[in-house]
Amino acid sequence: MGEMEELRKEADNLKDQITEARKVVQDTTLQEAVAGTTLVGRVQLKTRKTLRGHLAKIYAMHWGTDTNCSKLCVSASQDGKLIVWDTLTTNKVNAIPLKSSWVMTCAYAPSGNMVACGGLDNMCSIYNLKGKDGNVKVMRELAAHTGYLSCCRFLNDSEIITSSGDCTCILWDIETGTEKTIFAGHLGDCMSLAVSPDFKMFISGACDFTAKLWDIREATCRQTFSGHESDINAIGFFPNGNAVITGSDDATCKLYDLRADQELITYQDSGIMCGVTSLAASLSGRLLLAGYDDFNVNIWDMLKAERVGVLAGHDNRVSCIGVSSDGMACCTGSWDSFLKIWN
Amino acid sequence: MEDLDLPQMKREVESLQYQLAINRVSSITVTELVKWIEGCVCDDPFLNPELMRANPWVEKGKCVIL
Repeated sequence: MGEMEELRKEADNLKDQITEARKVVQDTTLQEAVAGTTLVGRVQLKTRKTLRGHLAKIYAMHWGTDTNCSKLCVSASQDGKLIVWDTLTTNKVNAIPLKSSWVMTCAYAPSGNMVACGGLDNMCSIYNLKGKDGNVKVMRELAAHTGYLSCCRFLNDSEIITSSGDCTCILWDIETGTEKTIFAGHLGDCMSLAVSPDFKMFISGACDFTAKLWDIREATCRQTFSGHESDINAIGFFPNGNAVITGSDDATCKLYDLRADQELITYQDSGIMCGVTSLAASLSGRLLLAGYDDFNVNIWDMLKAERVGVLAGHDNRVSCIGVSSDGMACCTGSWDSFLKIWN
Repeated sequence: MEDLDLPQMKREVESLQYQLAINRVSSITVTELVKWIEGCVCDDPFLNPELMRANPWVEKGKCVIL
């Protein structure tokens, strides 16, 4: 009992020191830096396409990034299917039946060669889209997590990172199907993860109300960001990789500066009382698009922290959102079983 | 924190020591962030209507009689 008490005191002491160190470098606030900046004009995006085909709630979507698939996206629904869509024509390029219908996440490999998904089966299944005979088959089933798979993101065709309800994230070797690194430290279910633009770091958001920045190769947690008052459901990197955006059940989104190790600003409105489910930044980072439990997407001016637009059109919770790699379109997925393309 | 066992607590303390030691840059980084955003706004299709003129998701032209 004595050793535990001492360790607890040391942990609290270290947390206080980190808070102090953050105060020391705080020379200016975002509000001060944008005092002279004009608010962005009202942003009105229209639904250009509705992707119909899923028969149940959509839980996740992810845009392709490679030039060959930058207009393609993959979606996962609890109807037990992964669908790869051509968003321009609304055609289904692939409709992949899943072994487990309780899917919670999906990802498109940067190369466009594979997609991955997982959920209550605690596994991450990798599918090869470019098989020799044209059929899409399971390539690997990555099993080691002891909790649900909440999110997965490819680093390349041979490595993928997963986050889980077992409070850990894992870096996998897809070839061998084994764990390369286990990232432990969160004290609650890991709900979401995002990889930095340079692929050297990733961030995770969890039900312990914190976000953690991890160095992939060093296998360490470099920074922990607190401030949220409830589970963090959504997380993303700011386009230049120097900041992190989080979305939480506490109805707010926050922006954290990685280099100064501080919270910069909170995106909140007294009229918004429901949780944030998903988020994505526009190409320049000036706009933050966040999906909420009240079926809407709010568009925020990231610098002035004011709402400048709304995407209304879904008949149920917006569960996922993504901006295409060229910044030209936004895709939303909903529990109403539809995906919509907006710009 | 109450739910951690001894080895987990030790790892938490180690992690905090590591996190304390990282290099923190003065938040002049905020001004850099603002400059970066302002520099990219003209390339952002959601903010620059010029870039949306050729919008691949909008049907062009009139109906064709097959």
